[in-house]
Amino acid sequence: MGRILIVDDTMFMRTLLKNILFSGGHDIVGEAADGAEAVARYQELKPDLVTMDVVMPKVNGIEALKAIKAADPAAKVIMCTAVGQEQMVKLAVKSGARGYIVKPFQAPKVLEEVKNVLSA
Amino acid sequence: MKSVPVKVEHGGKWVPTTLGIGEDRIRIDAPLDCEIPYKSVVDLEEKKNQVVITAGAEGELVYRIASVEKVLSVLKKFIIIQCSAYRLNAFFMSPAVRGGVLVQDARWEKGAIAVLKTGIWFVSQETQVCIPIADVAGIELTSREIQEKNLDVVKIDHLGESEVVTSFVLCPMTTLQVLYNFLREATHDSEVSEEIDPLTGQVAMLVYSGMDSSAIENMLKLSHKDLDAIYERLLGTGLAEVLHVRKEVQLTAKGVRYISNAMKSPTN
Repeated sequence: MGRILIVDDTMFMRTLLKNILFSGGHDIVGEAADGAEAVARYQELKPDLVTMDVVMPKVNGIEALKAIKAADPAAKVIMCTAVGQEQMVKLAVKSGARGYIVKPFQAPKVLEEVKNVLSA
Repeated sequence: MKSVPVKVEHGGKWVPTTLGIGEDRIRIDAPLDCEIPYKSVVDLEEKKNQVVITAGAEGELVYRIASVEKVLSVLKKFIIIQCSAYRLNAFFMSPAVRGGVLVQDARWEKGAIAVLKTGIWFVSQETQVCIPIADVAGIELTSREIQEKNLDVVKIDHLGESEVVTSFVLCPMTTLQVLYNFLREATHDSEVSEEIDPLTGQVAMLVYSGMDSSAIENMLKLSHKDLDAIYERLLGTGLAEVLHVRKEVQLTAKGVRYISNAMKSPTN
Protein backbone atom coordinates (compact mmCIF):
# COMPACT_ATOMS: atom_id res chain seq x y z
CA MET A 1 0.00 0.00 0.00
CA GLY A 2 1.30 3.45 -0.78
CA ARG A 3 1.19 7.10 0.25
CA ILE A 4 -0.40 8.87 -2.69
CA LEU A 5 -0.71 12.49 -3.84
CA ILE A 6 -3.71 13.14 -6.12
CA VAL A 7 -3.43 15.97 -8.67
CA ASP A 8 -6.49 17.04 -10.66
CA ASP A 9 -8.11 20.43 -11.25
CA THR A 10 -11.64 19.13 -10.59
CA MET A 11 -12.69 18.31 -7.08
CA PHE A 12 -15.05 15.64 -8.39
CA MET A 13 -12.22 13.68 -10.02
CA ARG A 14 -10.00 14.10 -6.96
CA THR A 15 -12.76 12.78 -4.71
CA LEU A 16 -13.44 9.89 -7.07
CA LEU A 17 -9.77 8.90 -7.19
CA LYS A 18 -9.50 9.33 -3.44
CA ASN A 19 -12.41 6.93 -2.91
CA ILE A 20 -11.00 4.38 -5.33
CA LEU A 21 -7.49 4.49 -3.89
CA PHE A 22 -8.72 4.51 -0.30
CA SER A 23 -10.87 1.45 -1.02
CA GLY A 24 -7.68 -0.24 -2.24
CA GLY A 25 -6.01 0.39 1.11
CA HIS A 26 -3.84 3.32 0.05
CA ASP A 27 -3.13 6.37 2.15
CA ILE A 28 -4.03 9.66 0.47
CA VAL A 29 -1.45 12.06 1.85
CA GLY A 30 -2.50 15.11 -0.14
CA GLU A 31 -4.25 16.72 -3.08
CA ALA A 32 -3.35 19.46 -5.55
CA ALA A 33 -5.51 21.32 -8.04
CA ASP A 34 -2.84 22.43 -10.53
CA GLY A 35 0.70 21.61 -11.62
CA ALA A 36 2.44 24.28 -9.54
CA GLU A 37 0.68 23.15 -6.38
CA ALA A 38 1.53 19.53 -7.28
CA VAL A 39 5.27 20.29 -7.40
CA ALA A 40 5.12 22.11 -4.06
CA ARG A 41 3.06 19.38 -2.40
CA TYR A 42 5.38 16.69 -3.74
CA GLN A 43 8.43 18.34 -2.19
CA GLU A 44 6.57 18.80 1.07
CA LEU A 45 4.99 15.31 1.35
CA LYS A 46 7.42 13.04 -0.55
CA PRO A 47 4.63 10.57 -1.50
CA ASP A 48 5.28 7.07 -2.86
CA LEU A 49 3.20 7.84 -5.93
CA VAL A 50 1.44 10.73 -7.69
CA THR A 51 -1.65 10.51 -9.92
CA MET A 52 -1.33 13.49 -12.26
CA ASP A 53 -4.03 14.96 -14.51
CA VAL A 54 -2.60 16.17 -17.82
CA VAL A 55 -4.75 19.19 -18.67
CA MET A 56 -4.75 21.69 -15.79
CA PRO A 57 -4.59 25.46 -15.42
CA LYS A 58 -1.35 27.39 -14.71
CA VAL A 59 1.18 24.53 -14.95
CA ASN A 60 -0.08 21.47 -16.84
CA GLY A 61 0.56 17.87 -15.82
CA ILE A 62 3.45 17.28 -18.23
CA GLU A 63 5.33 20.34 -16.97
CA ALA A 64 4.65 19.37 -13.36
CA LEU A 65 5.87 15.84 -14.09
CA LYS A 66 9.11 17.21 -15.54
CA ALA A 67 9.65 19.46 -12.50
CA ILE A 68 9.01 16.59 -10.07
CA LYS A 69 11.33 14.25 -11.96
CA ALA A 70 14.03 16.93 -12.09
CA ALA A 71 13.90 17.23 -8.31
CA ASP A 72 13.48 13.48 -7.67
CA PRO A 73 14.40 11.18 -10.59
CA ALA A 74 12.96 8.18 -8.69
CA ALA A 75 9.49 9.77 -8.39
CA LYS A 76 6.63 7.49 -9.43
CA VAL A 77 3.97 9.36 -11.37
CA ILE A 78 0.88 7.95 -13.10
CA MET A 79 -0.66 10.28 -15.68
CA CYS A 80 -4.44 10.60 -16.09
CA THR A 81 -5.38 11.48 -19.65
CA ALA A 82 -8.82 12.00 -21.12
CA VAL A 83 -10.15 10.06 -24.10
CA GLY A 84 -8.57 11.44 -27.27
CA GLN A 85 -5.40 12.58 -25.52
CA GLU A 86 -3.57 9.28 -25.92
CA GLN A 87 -0.84 11.04 -27.90
CA MET A 88 0.02 12.81 -24.64
CA VAL A 89 0.94 9.43 -23.22
CA LYS A 90 4.09 9.17 -25.30
CA LEU A 91 5.21 12.63 -24.22
CA ALA A 92 4.47 11.76 -20.61
CA VAL A 93 6.42 8.48 -20.79
CA LYS A 94 9.32 10.35 -22.41
CA SER A 95 9.16 12.78 -19.51
CA GLY A 96 9.38 10.00 -16.95
CA ALA A 97 5.80 8.88 -16.19
CA ARG A 98 5.68 5.30 -14.87
CA GLY A 99 2.09 4.60 -15.90
CA TYR A 100 -1.04 6.12 -17.34
CA ILE A 101 -4.78 5.74 -17.01
CA VAL A 102 -7.36 7.01 -19.45
CA LYS A 103 -10.46 8.85 -18.21
CA PRO A 104 -13.12 7.71 -17.74
CA PHE A 105 -11.60 4.87 -15.73
CA GLN A 106 -12.83 1.92 -13.71
CA ALA A 107 -11.77 1.31 -10.12
CA PRO A 108 -10.25 -2.20 -10.41
CA LYS A 109 -8.04 -1.13 -13.31
CA VAL A 110 -6.85 1.98 -11.52
CA LEU A 111 -5.91 -0.07 -8.46
CA GLU A 112 -4.13 -2.61 -10.68
CA GLU A 113 -2.07 0.10 -12.39
CA VAL A 114 -1.19 1.74 -9.05
CA LYS A 115 -0.14 -1.64 -7.65
CA ASN A 116 2.05 -2.32 -10.70
CA VAL A 117 3.80 1.03 -10.47
CA LEU A 118 4.29 0.86 -6.71
CA SER A 119 5.81 -2.62 -6.91
CA ALA A 120 8.07 -1.84 -9.90
CA MET B 1 -14.19 -31.98 -46.11
CA LYS B 2 -12.95 -32.74 -42.60
CA SER B 3 -15.47 -34.34 -40.25
CA VAL B 4 -15.62 -33.73 -36.52
CA PRO B 5 -18.03 -34.83 -33.78
CA VAL B 6 -20.30 -32.06 -32.49
CA LYS B 7 -23.66 -31.64 -30.81
CA VAL B 8 -26.51 -29.75 -32.49
CA GLU B 9 -29.73 -28.47 -31.03
CA HIS B 10 -32.67 -30.37 -32.47
CA GLY B 11 -36.21 -30.32 -31.13
CA GLY B 12 -35.08 -28.54 -27.97
CA LYS B 13 -32.42 -31.16 -27.19
CA TRP B 14 -28.68 -31.41 -27.81
CA VAL B 15 -28.04 -34.33 -30.18
CA PRO B 16 -24.60 -35.80 -31.07
CA THR B 17 -23.82 -35.79 -34.79
CA THR B 18 -21.00 -35.16 -37.28
CA LEU B 19 -20.05 -31.84 -38.77
CA GLY B 20 -18.13 -31.67 -42.05
CA ILE B 21 -16.12 -28.49 -42.55
CA GLY B 22 -15.36 -27.82 -46.22
CA GLU B 23 -13.80 -25.00 -48.18
CA ASP B 24 -17.09 -23.32 -49.06
CA ARG B 25 -19.70 -25.00 -46.85
CA ILE B 26 -20.38 -27.12 -43.82
CA ARG B 27 -22.40 -30.29 -43.71
CA ILE B 28 -24.35 -31.44 -40.66
CA ASP B 29 -25.32 -35.12 -40.62
CA ALA B 30 -28.61 -36.56 -39.26
CA PRO B 31 -30.83 -35.57 -37.64
CA LEU B 32 -30.41 -32.17 -39.36
CA ASP B 33 -28.94 -33.64 -42.55
CA CYS B 34 -28.19 -30.34 -44.25
CA GLU B 35 -25.51 -28.29 -45.96
CA ILE B 36 -24.87 -24.65 -45.16
CA PRO B 37 -22.84 -22.66 -47.74
CA TYR B 38 -20.74 -20.07 -45.88
CA LYS B 39 -21.98 -17.33 -48.19
CA SER B 40 -25.57 -17.99 -47.04
CA VAL B 41 -24.64 -17.20 -43.41
CA VAL B 42 -25.91 -13.77 -42.33
CA ASP B 43 -25.08 -13.89 -38.64
CA LEU B 44 -22.80 -15.69 -36.23
CA GLU B 45 -23.00 -15.53 -32.45
CA GLU B 46 -20.77 -17.25 -29.95
CA LYS B 47 -21.61 -18.48 -26.50
CA LYS B 48 -19.64 -20.70 -24.19
CA ASN B 49 -18.69 -23.83 -26.16
CA GLN B 50 -21.27 -23.16 -28.85
CA VAL B 51 -21.99 -21.02 -31.89
CA VAL B 52 -25.31 -19.93 -33.32
CA ILE B 53 -25.32 -19.72 -37.11
CA THR B 54 -28.09 -17.80 -38.87
CA ALA B 55 -28.46 -18.44 -42.59
CA GLY B 56 -30.88 -17.83 -45.46
CA ALA B 57 -31.94 -14.66 -47.23
CA GLU B 58 -34.36 -13.77 -44.44
CA GLY B 59 -32.21 -15.23 -41.67
CA GLU B 60 -34.82 -17.94 -41.30
CA LEU B 61 -32.43 -20.84 -40.66
CA VAL B 62 -30.83 -21.00 -37.20
CA TYR B 63 -28.35 -23.70 -36.21
CA ARG B 64 -26.87 -24.15 -32.75
CA ILE B 65 -23.66 -26.14 -32.68
CA ALA B 66 -21.68 -27.12 -29.60
CA SER B 67 -18.15 -28.47 -29.67
CA VAL B 68 -14.65 -27.98 -28.29
CA GLU B 69 -12.96 -24.60 -28.77
CA LYS B 70 -10.53 -25.89 -31.42
CA VAL B 71 -13.37 -27.05 -33.71
CA LEU B 72 -15.45 -23.92 -33.16
CA SER B 73 -12.42 -21.75 -33.86
CA VAL B 74 -11.89 -23.35 -37.29
CA LEU B 75 -15.61 -23.17 -38.04
CA LYS B 76 -15.85 -19.49 -37.06
CA LYS B 77 -12.85 -18.59 -39.18
CA PHE B 78 -14.30 -20.18 -42.33
CA ILE B 79 -17.65 -18.51 -41.75
CA ILE B 80 -16.29 -15.03 -40.99
CA ILE B 81 -14.02 -15.03 -44.02
CA GLN B 82 -16.77 -16.08 -46.45
CA CYS B 83 -20.16 -15.19 -44.96
CA SER B 84 -22.57 -12.57 -46.27
CA ALA B 85 -21.35 -9.49 -44.37
CA TYR B 86 -19.60 -6.17 -44.75
CA ARG B 87 -15.99 -7.29 -44.58
CA LEU B 88 -12.55 -5.88 -45.25
CA ASN B 89 -8.92 -6.64 -44.62
CA ALA B 90 -7.49 -4.49 -41.88
CA PHE B 91 -5.10 -4.25 -39.01
CA PHE B 92 -6.76 -4.33 -35.60
CA MET B 93 -5.78 -3.99 -31.97
CA SER B 94 -8.27 -5.53 -29.55
CA PRO B 95 -8.27 -4.95 -26.66
CA ALA B 96 -6.09 -1.82 -26.64
CA VAL B 97 -7.47 -0.17 -23.49
CA ARG B 98 -9.29 -1.98 -20.69
CA GLY B 99 -11.03 -0.08 -17.89
CA GLY B 100 -9.05 3.06 -18.70
CA VAL B 101 -5.66 1.33 -18.58
CA LEU B 102 -3.70 0.70 -21.75
CA VAL B 103 -3.15 -3.02 -22.30
CA GLN B 104 0.63 -3.51 -22.04
CA ASP B 105 1.00 -6.32 -24.58
CA ALA B 106 -1.51 -4.94 -27.09
CA ARG B 107 -0.27 -5.15 -30.68
CA TRP B 108 -1.55 -4.64 -34.20
CA GLU B 109 -2.72 -7.82 -35.89
CA LYS B 110 -3.23 -8.28 -39.61
CA GLY B 111 -6.55 -9.90 -40.45
CA ALA B 112 -10.11 -9.24 -41.45
CA ILE B 113 -13.00 -7.38 -39.89
CA ALA B 114 -16.55 -8.48 -40.62
CA VAL B 115 -19.69 -6.69 -39.51
CA LEU B 116 -22.59 -9.09 -39.06
CA LYS B 117 -26.12 -8.54 -37.75
CA THR B 118 -25.29 -8.88 -34.07
CA GLY B 119 -21.53 -8.55 -33.88
CA ILE B 120 -18.31 -7.11 -35.21
CA TRP B 121 -15.72 -9.83 -35.74
CA PHE B 122 -11.95 -9.48 -35.90
CA VAL B 123 -10.13 -12.50 -37.25
CA SER B 124 -6.41 -13.12 -37.70
CA GLN B 125 -4.22 -16.22 -37.78
CA GLU B 126 -4.09 -16.21 -33.99
CA THR B 127 -7.11 -14.25 -32.78
CA GLN B 128 -10.89 -14.26 -33.03
CA VAL B 129 -12.60 -11.40 -31.27
CA CYS B 130 -16.34 -10.69 -31.36
CA ILE B 131 -17.78 -7.39 -30.18
CA PRO B 132 -21.57 -7.70 -29.87
CA ILE B 133 -23.22 -4.69 -31.55
CA ALA B 134 -25.38 -4.25 -28.43
CA ASP B 135 -22.23 -3.73 -26.35
CA VAL B 136 -20.74 -1.00 -28.54
CA ALA B 137 -20.48 2.21 -26.52
CA GLY B 138 -18.84 4.46 -29.06
CA ILE B 139 -17.45 4.66 -32.59
CA GLU B 140 -14.96 7.35 -33.42
CA LEU B 141 -12.78 8.21 -36.40
CA THR B 142 -9.55 9.41 -34.85
CA SER B 143 -5.80 9.34 -35.33
CA ARG B 144 -3.18 7.33 -33.49
CA GLU B 145 0.57 7.37 -33.60
CA ILE B 146 1.79 4.17 -35.22
CA GLN B 147 5.49 3.71 -35.97
CA GLU B 148 6.03 7.45 -35.49
CA LYS B 149 3.32 8.38 -37.99
CA ASN B 150 -0.09 9.79 -37.18
CA LEU B 151 -2.52 7.46 -38.93
CA ASP B 152 -6.31 7.49 -39.08
CA VAL B 153 -8.02 4.69 -37.20
CA VAL B 154 -11.54 3.72 -36.16
CA LYS B 155 -11.82 3.53 -32.38
CA ILE B 156 -14.50 1.23 -30.95
CA ASP B 157 -15.45 1.45 -27.26
CA HIS B 158 -17.40 -1.52 -26.02
CA LEU B 159 -18.40 -3.36 -22.88
CA GLY B 160 -16.66 -6.63 -22.15
CA GLU B 161 -16.79 -8.71 -18.96
CA SER B 162 -18.14 -5.69 -17.02
CA GLU B 163 -15.26 -3.52 -18.21
CA VAL B 164 -15.10 -0.80 -20.82
CA VAL B 165 -12.75 -1.91 -23.57
CA THR B 166 -11.32 0.07 -26.49
CA SER B 167 -10.29 -1.53 -29.78
CA PHE B 168 -8.75 0.06 -32.88
CA VAL B 169 -9.04 -0.72 -36.60
CA LEU B 170 -6.49 0.51 -39.13
CA CYS B 171 -6.97 0.36 -42.91
CA PRO B 172 -6.73 2.72 -45.92
CA MET B 173 -8.63 5.98 -45.38
CA THR B 174 -11.22 5.31 -48.08
CA THR B 175 -12.33 2.03 -46.54
CA LEU B 176 -11.90 3.41 -43.03
CA GLN B 177 -14.52 6.08 -43.73
CA VAL B 178 -16.90 3.46 -45.15
CA LEU B 179 -16.32 1.22 -42.13
CA TYR B 180 -16.88 4.13 -39.75
CA ASN B 181 -20.16 5.07 -41.45
CA PHE B 182 -21.28 1.45 -41.47
CA LEU B 183 -20.53 1.00 -37.78
CA ARG B 184 -22.20 4.31 -36.89
CA GLU B 185 -25.31 3.17 -38.70
CA ALA B 186 -25.22 -0.27 -37.04
CA THR B 187 -24.95 1.27 -33.57
CA HIS B 188 -27.06 4.41 -33.95
CA ASP B 189 -29.54 3.17 -31.32
CA SER B 190 -27.01 3.95 -28.58
CA GLU B 191 -26.60 7.64 -29.52
CA VAL B 192 -27.22 9.93 -26.54
CA SER B 193 -29.83 12.57 -27.32
CA GLU B 194 -31.27 13.35 -23.88
CA GLU B 195 -30.23 16.31 -21.75
CA ILE B 196 -28.56 15.06 -18.57
CA ASP B 197 -28.35 17.38 -15.55
CA PRO B 198 -24.89 17.71 -13.90
CA LEU B 199 -25.76 15.75 -10.75
CA THR B 200 -27.14 12.83 -12.77
CA GLY B 201 -24.00 12.98 -14.91
CA GLN B 202 -21.82 12.78 -11.81
CA VAL B 203 -23.74 9.77 -10.55
CA ALA B 204 -23.31 8.12 -13.96
CA MET B 205 -19.57 8.75 -13.76
CA LEU B 206 -19.39 7.16 -10.32
CA VAL B 207 -21.36 4.12 -11.49
CA TYR B 208 -18.96 3.85 -14.43
CA SER B 209 -16.03 3.91 -12.02
CA GLY B 210 -17.48 1.02 -10.03
CA MET B 211 -18.89 2.84 -7.00
CA ASP B 212 -21.86 1.22 -5.26
CA SER B 213 -24.95 3.09 -4.04
CA SER B 214 -23.58 3.57 -0.57
CA ALA B 215 -20.30 5.08 -1.82
CA ILE B 216 -22.19 7.37 -4.21
CA GLU B 217 -24.49 8.59 -1.43
CA ASN B 218 -21.50 9.35 0.79
CA MET B 219 -19.46 11.01 -1.94
CA LEU B 220 -22.20 13.28 -3.24
CA LYS B 221 -23.96 13.71 0.13
CA LEU B 222 -27.20 12.30 -1.25
CA SER B 223 -30.04 10.64 0.62
CA HIS B 224 -31.16 7.17 -0.40
CA LYS B 225 -34.35 8.72 -1.81
CA ASP B 226 -32.42 11.32 -3.84
CA LEU B 227 -30.17 8.66 -5.29
CA ASP B 228 -33.14 6.46 -6.16
CA ALA B 229 -34.67 9.38 -8.05
CA ILE B 230 -31.43 9.91 -10.00
CA TYR B 231 -31.25 6.18 -10.75
CA GLU B 232 -34.78 6.41 -12.12
CA ARG B 233 -33.62 9.21 -14.47
CA LEU B 234 -30.65 7.12 -15.65
CA LEU B 235 -32.92 4.13 -16.18
CA GLY B 236 -35.56 6.22 -17.91
CA THR B 237 -33.10 7.68 -20.40
CA GLY B 238 -31.56 4.30 -21.16
CA LEU B 239 -28.14 5.34 -19.83
CA ALA B 240 -28.20 2.60 -17.23
CA GLU B 241 -29.95 -0.67 -16.52
CA VAL B 242 -31.04 -2.41 -13.31
CA LEU B 243 -28.29 -4.73 -12.16
CA HIS B 244 -30.21 -6.41 -9.34
CA VAL B 245 -33.09 -5.80 -6.96
CA ARG B 246 -31.14 -3.36 -4.82
CA LYS B 247 -30.99 -1.19 -7.95
CA GLU B 248 -27.25 -0.92 -8.16
CA VAL B 249 -26.82 0.18 -11.77
CA GLN B 250 -24.21 -0.09 -14.46
CA LEU B 251 -23.96 2.07 -17.51
CA THR B 252 -25.18 0.89 -20.87
CA ALA B 253 -23.30 1.52 -24.06
CA LYS B 254 -25.34 4.70 -24.38
CA GLY B 255 -24.30 5.80 -20.89
CA VAL B 256 -20.66 5.03 -21.59
CA ARG B 257 -20.86 7.11 -24.77
CA TYR B 258 -22.24 10.01 -22.71
CA ILE B 259 -19.41 9.77 -20.20
CA SER B 260 -16.77 9.35 -22.91
CA ASN B 261 -18.09 12.42 -24.71
CA ALA B 262 -18.23 14.41 -21.47
CA MET B 263 -14.58 13.63 -20.78
CA LYS B 264 -13.51 15.13 -24.10
CA SER B 265 -14.21 18.66 -22.88
CA PRO B 266 -11.10 20.83 -22.80
CA THR B 267 -11.21 21.11 -19.00
CA ASN B 268 -10.42 17.42 -18.55
